Amino acid sequence: MGFDNLMLKLDEGVTGLFGQWNIYSSVIVTLFAGLLTYQLATRTDPDTHPFLLARQAQASPVRNEGESPVYRSQASPHSMPLNAGLNVKDPGASKWAKGRDGDLRDIWRQAVAGVQDDGPNKGATGRILTVLGTEHVTEHRLDDVTRQINLIGQHILDQGGNRVAIYLPNSVELVVTLFACAFYNLTAVILPFNQSGEAVISMLRRSAADTVVTVPGSFPFDHVVKSYPALRQLIWVVDEGSKHMDWNEVPQGTGSSVNVSTWQDIVSDYPVDAGKELPSMEGQKEPRDVTIFWQSKPGTTEEMVRFTSANLIAGVSAQVFAIPTSQRIGPSDLFLPADSLANTHTLVLTLAALYSNASVAFNSVGSEANDLAIATRGIAPTILVATPAALLKTHQEMGNIVASSFVARNIHWLQTRTLTQGVMPAASFLTSYYDRFRPAVGTKPGKLRLIFTAERVAAGTPRLSSQVLSDLRVYTGARVIYALTAAKAAGAVAQTGFYDYRVFNDQVSHFGSPVTSAEIFLRDTSAQKNGDGDGRGEIIVRGPSVAGNEATLGVEGVIRDDNTLAYV
Amino acid sequence: MVGLAAEVLARRVSCSLFTPLNLLLASLFLYTAYSFLKPAPAAVIPKEEPAIVFKTFTPRTLLPFNGENDAPVYLAVRGRVFDVTRGRNFYGPGGPYANFAGRDASRGLACGSFDEDMLTKDLDGSLDTLADLDREQLEALQGWEDRFSDKYLVVGKLVPVSEAA
Repeated sequence: MGFDNLMLKLDEGVTGLFGQWNIYSSVIVTLFAGLLTYQLATRTDPDTHPFLLARQAQASPVRNEGESPVYRSQASPHSMPLNAGLNVKDPGASKWAKGRDGDLRDIWRQAVAGVQDDGPNKGATGRILTVLGTEHVTEHRLDDVTRQINLIGQHILDQGGNRVAIYLPNSVELVVTLFACAFYNLTAVILPFNQSGEAVISMLRRSAADTVVTVPGSFPFDHVVKSYPALRQLIWVVDEGSKHMDWNEVPQGTGSSVNVSTWQDIVSDYPVDAGKELPSMEGQKEPRDVTIFWQSKPGTTEEMVRFTSANLIAGVSAQVFAIPTSQRIGPSDLFLPADSLANTHTLVLTLAALYSNASVAFNSVGSEANDLAIATRGIAPTILVATPAALLKTHQEMGNIVASSFVARNIHWLQTRTLTQGVMPAASFLTSYYDRFRPAVGTKPGKLRLIFTAERVAAGTPRLSSQVLSDLRVYTGARVIYALTAAKAAGAVAQTGFYDYRVFNDQVSHFGSPVTSAEIFLRDTSAQKNGDGDGRGEIIVRGPSVAGNEATLGVEGVIRDDNTLAYV
Repeated sequence: MVGLAAEVLARRVSCSLFTPLNLLLASLFLYTAYSFLKPAPAAVIPKEEPAIVFKTFTPRTLLPFNGENDAPVYLAVRGRVFDVTRGRNFYGPGGPYANFAGRDASRGLACGSFDEDMLTKDLDGSLDTLADLDREQLEALQGWEDRFSDKYLVVGKLVPVSEAA
């Protein structure tokens, strides 16, 4: 009896409760169902295991007094040699044999040969593009570029050139000259573009260049002829519009014997069939060094750094392997360096893109634009190298737009949350609303998938916080890799992980773990002392990608709890 | 009269947001939303062991590292000091190689002998130069050294007292 009574009471209670059902109840339940559906539909595992982000570098078990342990990337453990080369397999070599480290020549050979791995992309090659102005995009056929490499290299060699200074904006010609030097046993010297006449002459003098490849208008030829008699050869890269002019003239009254020619004449004077084949690999000489000038703050003298070919290759290899296999740069990518190619970081990434058979676009205004919209006009890059200044500008503009819209602000918050949970937000109906706010990067928004940017040690580059990096990921829909770069390290010293989207309360983001071609440690300074489990001090980098194998960066760093490197 | 009042109340309830049912549903909704949206704690893994500081030992300062009283077990091979604590069963007290603990083990390993007379007697003198070893013994020593390098950490170097600063 008691049980029946209880059930009856329960029945009445439930009926009474649900008797209160009204329109608001329906609204709440609908919202509830919507929330559950949204969560189930958008729920994804983090892109990488959280533990991999919680300890990003491996510390050596033994350290020296006054130094921190030596830190290495998890991908290049202490028991193994650091990543030194591209593991180039010569045609016909056994599949299982260890490949060569390779040199610059192998990068161009690989770019021409196309993807070698079996798969749907086998044989696919990238394209080389030049962006002129806002609309005009020209494609350079790969065999045409090969022909230019051969003819320019042969020409400089025939004229007795030995040390070739390249004073060019970001352009195909810059890369062609670099490869021409590699194939024709010349030493390349890359000068930063848009420098004062004095600076150019000083750099020519210090690098003892005898040949200059440059564009008219930027190079103070008269001045150089007068004050730098060691110059023997000059090649003008003239554009379409002014190639009818007589460029072969040497300034009057100097009595100089500089051999002047134009790029276009050299290329067109040879028969069409000449120079189609790259020099054979048999009997090729040891690769020569590449000299690069590191610009620190304006007004200070550029630091001249000689990289061996092996340094550069190790840097390139580290960048190729820094990207997880499933996301690796490939023929479907369009790579745009919107930072000066005279920076080793940009140069090394560009070489990595060429080696990975990606398409590469050159835009001569790219390096100074400091504006993503201008640098990416005319094309839709999937991978971009940008200066922190340009990214910061975009971030500011976007920040204002997003802050002014309530909906955008909340979508931004939601996406930031997704990111900090370790998931790169995928396109959805929510993001499509957000799309209208996105910055104008490239002609097709949404195609961009990866941005490289770098802090240059002691060069006064604006610094990016982890919040800014995260915002940029939301704004552009692309991953961002933030690197620490220094004069003597080809590529980067350390860089944030591809899947690391964490946000911290910081002024400058951490720089992730060392790249696979280098290891770092910190040495005591007067202000910073290393202790047990507490690494701090002056940053020192060592490894195959470092000129002279070891370099002191001159800035103080600290190893954080997740074994990433950060400024003090 | 009472019935009428109840009906009015019921009607008011039927279009009110704040009914017990609605409050129940709303709290369920808010709790679920909160549990979805609350930030997940970041993954924490225990900090790794602090690195051992590389030291310079003399035969005398190496002596205490013989494994007794839970001390680490160190031994030196040709000037390199290995931390063999993980191999305590062999090198620690009571182990077959216990004589080597805290000592320069080069000669003993080369000769394949664990005897006391393989050890350098004079702790304050110069290190054993091993000049009288033959090729075979040096090869054996190299074998041991390679094995140690693979297995154990080099935590310091051994110098004679005269060279210690």
